[in-house]
Amino acid sequence: MSEFECITTEALENATIVKFVDQRVMNPARIESLGRELLSLVDGAVATGIVLNFDGVSFFSSAAINKLIKLESESRKNGLQLRLSNLRPEVRDLFSYTNLDSLFQIKDNQFDAIESL
Amino acid sequence: MESTTQHWRYDDHIPSEPDCCATIVGMVLEQLEKNGWGNKDTFGIHMAMEEAVMNAIDHGNNRSPDKTVHLVIEICGNRFYSKITDQGEGFDPSTVPDPTEEENLEKDCGRGVMLIRNFVDVVLYNDKGNSLELTKQNSEAEA
Repeated sequence: MSEFECITTEALENATIVKFVDQRVMNPARIESLGRELLSLVDGAVATGIVLNFDGVSFFSSAAINKLIKLESESRKNGLQLRLSNLRPEVRDLFSYTNLDSLFQIKDNQFDAIESL
Repeated sequence: MESTTQHWRYDDHIPSEPDCCATIVGMVLEQLEKNGWGNKDTFGIHMAMEEAVMNAIDHGNNRSPDKTVHLVIEICGNRFYSKITDQGEGFDPSTVPDPTEEENLEKDCGRGVMLIRNFVDVVLYNDKGNSLELTKQNSEAEA
């Protein structure tokens, strides 16, 4: 049984692949859990990087984005690379409108994300 | 509350609870779908409503059980309108830091306000800063 409620994880090549359980990532309590679960991936990570695969995610609130920013910061401190992939156009727009595509490396698909690590 | 596929109006006070926001947003999405709004516009309204209502609940009312958020929402065919009013002290939106500036990128503050502006056509705050009106036209509707 998975130790996580909000994400699923899979080790693939040199990456930890993370997928989101919720299609709409907007519930504040779930977002707090999501943040904790994502940060726990950084502690004791053996992979080169983390790929957040947004396949199936149709909505992502600004509160959820804040958790990704924290993950990016912690990953960087721990020498881990972070990639985002498989974003729907509307979700991708979130990152361009907020200029966060300069903070995150966003790839079209999971393969490209892993290759870039 | 009245509901048809042509004109839907909601006017009520909701408790300062996040679950209430999710319920309202769900109702709005359902009505947009009934009125044939496309994915892009629906996503924009979803984003603006989610951020605006949650700001009212969290920052305006501090989730106080004694305070409510007054919501007026109208969907008339290809026009969406909403007025969201909390019972807080209000704020000056012009003083919110620009979250797209490099020095603010990793800060939590201001991103929701900025996203609201990006995803609807018109955003109007009252002078006190505890009420805002959102308007959006269906961009995929035939002229």
